[in-house]
Amino acid sequence: MTISAPRYGSTSSERLGRTRRVLAIVRRELRRRAGWGTVAAVVLAFVSVAAVVIVDAEFASLTGTLRLTTLEAPFESPIWPLLLLLVATSAGAGALAEDTGNRSIVLYLSRPIHLIDYVGAKAIACGTWILIAAAGPPLTAVLILTLLGVVPTSIAVSAALGYLAVGLLATIFLTGVALSLSSLTSRPLYAGVGIFGVVLSLFIGAAAVAAITGNLYVPYASPVTLLRSVGLGVFGGPSTPETDPATSAAVLAIAGAVLGAFAAWRASRVEVVSE
Amino acid sequence: MTAGVVEAQELTKRYGEVLGLNRFTSSIAGGITGLVGPNGAGKSTLFRLLAGQLKADAGTLTLLGHPAWGEGEFRRHVGYCPEHSALYEGLTGEAFVTTLLRVDGYSRAEAGERALRAIETVGLTEARGRRLRTYSKGMRQRVKIAQSIAHDPELILLDEPLNGVDPVGRSTLTALLETLQKAGRHIVVSSHVLYEVERLTDQIIMISNGRALAQGDLHRIRALIDAHPHVIDLEAGNPRTVARFLGEWDHVTAIEFPGPGRLRVRCRAPEEFYRALPPLVVREGLDVRSLTSADDNLDAVFRYLSEGGT
Repeated sequence: MTISAPRYGSTSSERLGRTRRVLAIVRRELRRRAGWGTVAAVVLAFVSVAAVVIVDAEFASLTGTLRLTTLEAPFESPIWPLLLLLVATSAGAGALAEDTGNRSIVLYLSRPIHLIDYVGAKAIACGTWILIAAAGPPLTAVLILTLLGVVPTSIAVSAALGYLAVGLLATIFLTGVALSLSSLTSRPLYAGVGIFGVVLSLFIGAAAVAAITGNLYVPYASPVTLLRSVGLGVFGGPSTPETDPATSAAVLAIAGAVLGAFAAWRASRVEVVSE
Repeated sequence: MTAGVVEAQELTKRYGEVLGLNRFTSSIAGGITGLVGPNGAGKSTLFRLLAGQLKADAGTLTLLGHPAWGEGEFRRHVGYCPEHSALYEGLTGEAFVTTLLRVDGYSRAEAGERALRAIETVGLTEARGRRLRTYSKGMRQRVKIAQSIAHDPELILLDEPLNGVDPVGRSTLTALLETLQKAGRHIVVSSHVLYEVERLTDQIIMISNGRALAQGDLHRIRALIDAHPHVIDLEAGNPRTVARFLGEWDHVTAIEFPGPGRLRVRCRAPEEFYRALPPLVVREGLDVRSLTSADDNLDAVFRYLSEGGT
């Protein structure tokens, strides 16, 4: 082993601003969150959702019944939100838990960064993957259909905006869920089980309770149902949403914001005690 | 009176019912300061408080004039090397240091340049492209030190930086710290082995049970420690060969083999042992991989001090 004397400059270098520092963390996090699980779930979302949109639109085009409502196909089944849940689980479970578990949070937080920047960067990285899976497949499908001349541009633009809006809402909510549960543990596996388990349990549990009791408010407890309702509401299709789309959107947005704030609060109280 | 680079007043930290620090009061003026105490004395708690990882339950703690807890741009003037691994195992050594420099606010080009320089400083240039999971314990310590000095901080906090490093590595890292001090950096270094720190500085804070027992020149205490048999554990590829050489030293009183590839040495002049081992390893080409001191005898001295022996 050889060492050499450190060479210091006579003056301190110019440092980049806060935004650039956050972006540096985001870039690193985007790569770290791109595990095989995340990539597989995103690919699965692209293949299944895009295929459904393209097949539905082609069929409607052939029968002359193509309208904006035709493009609501992704929201007619719970497959789309469940695929997003897989992405959120894979991309978000380790977002905070991994750093706490391997204690690299110690090095991050000993740097001149604001805690909100650290949590925000984690949220952006995790949210980016969820947004890619949420809005990417239907947007890609619409782009292909427009290029093929199957869908008129006016319908394509409306559909794209709809997909983007619903995708953003799903991103806000699922990022909040992922970060909040990831902030509760130092084990990504536990966080992952928590994210997937909580949302899936609410979906199954609310459906069962609603079927037994007939209570119309119970489905509001299921994020999967709420996401479907918003999607169906935006496209105004023939399928009837189980919950009111506007109320569902508000519930998802508020829940996502509250959960995100909870994650930031938890991170602000992180004390690295483990030995 | 000029404030020290680190000022602690009545600092208290509890973990439930356990006191990590108990009204710890001290002032660190600058240069190299050694924080010495047995395992569980509160050294790492103090370092985590200094690094802003823990919040004190009572008292005040300032670094470079700023409160230690909370966010602050002043942290760009502080480098921190934690005791335990805090590494992204999948990154290369170079990418690890570069990533943290980017968080410090350096441009991509400058971060890369500084990372290479810091890695060169700690002697990891050849291994910079390897993933951290392939690094030995000593290499991991060195890459942690690299990230703590790469941004040219005024104050460097090193928590047990020599723990697990091989004898030659210890000597070279010790030389590095001396070089950093000469470059005007303030360094606080912790160890549970007094001799390691004494080689660096006379400025020593002795801590036990969460309290600062003594601060300053402690040669008398070292003499006390020398009177107790000192226990040193070594990992070696050829322990019996190493034992043959060590057995020839007068101050080595016993050698045991607690397990494969390991030997435990008891000696009465640890300072002499630590000074003589690196040249022996180099001269005889011995495969000594790590060196740790359980240092139970230090506990006895601390008990003596705690009971009013000072």
